[in-house]
Amino acid sequence: MGEVPLLKELYAKYLDQGVAVVGISLDEQLKPLQEMVASKGMSWPQIHDADQSLVKLFNVKGTPTYYLIDREGKIAAKDIPMKRLGSAIDDLLKK
Amino acid sequence: MRYRTLDRMFGRSGSAGSLPGLSLGWALLLTLTALTVNAQNTPAPDKEMDRVQAMISQAKKDAEQFSKSGGKPGDANDPNLKWSAALWEYREKHPGTPATVNATSEALRLLNRADRLSELQAKTDTLKPDEAAWKQVFYVLMSAAAKSKDYSYLISKAEALAQVASDRDIKAQARFNIGDAYWRTKDNDRARKAFQQVVTEYPGTKYAEEAEGNLREIEFLNLGQPAPVFERTTISGDSISLAGFRGKVLVLKFWGTY
Repeated sequence: MGEVPLLKELYAKYLDQGVAVVGISLDEQLKPLQEMVASKGMSWPQIHDADQSLVKLFNVKGTPTYYLIDREGKIAAKDIPMKRLGSAIDDLLKK
Repeated sequence: MRYRTLDRMFGRSGSAGSLPGLSLGWALLLTLTALTVNAQNTPAPDKEMDRVQAMISQAKKDAEQFSKSGGKPGDANDPNLKWSAALWEYREKHPGTPATVNATSEALRLLNRADRLSELQAKTDTLKPDEAAWKQVFYVLMSAAAKSKDYSYLISKAEALAQVASDRDIKAQARFNIGDAYWRTKDNDRARKAFQQVVTEYPGTKYAEEAEGNLREIEFLNLGQPAPVFERTTISGDSISLAGFRGKVLVLKFWGTY
């Protein structure tokens, strides 16, 4: 949760450079998710993974978990900490 | 089925223990266990559990203070050493109670915090194969192994337990930890073999479910492999798919509001 401001910053910085962010929420209920997305002003798309099918597909073991996917749709990084996300994105954009 | 129910109530629990659901799930499970034992023995609330919990809280406070004042882990005056010894003494005086399960795992956890790995291993060697404390102790051993990048003790201990323990859950967890340890050392063949064993020998356990996920990850979720294809509707009603992000760098953030 403490990472939301950092992700907002990152999202704004890379928005025009061909970087997309998708949130995948593991919440049981939709309502708290909708409320937080609104109150924190998260403007990237959100998927409510209530049946945990995406969690299973990506074998996510905890939250938050970041996956980074390159322009060709290949896995570029997984389980990467927030603080290394920016430089990993820079590396991909240079390619 | 209990795990699945707990998982559904508190979120999916992972082996790394980093989902908030895990600690909550375990806390409930431990509380329920404690209540059951209490109901059988003494109807009074578990004062012993409170006593151990108070020691654990005080240990945490002392350690924070120590670290703030510039103390280094493992120094002779590291409070984690003192509290670890006190909790271990409690264990020896009160064998086989729910409070002792907590005291045992916490005594070992504090030794790990103080970087006293050989002492941690020597004490772990004195645990009996079917002690309930193993469930927590495995987390401590995994954390110690990751810190020292040496998984050999964890693996040999888990191999032994997988043989001699009679508690099915402990055996499953032991085998799962062997897989996890080999995976972390990038020995994928041995990791695969251990996870496969968990799946076939302990079906229906949460370890089997996690092992299945890890087997899929070892096979399909490596760096450079195509990301799994998905197509979903967002909470705003838009349809999105992996293919739609082709040509863009995509960040997926798995998270929760809890």
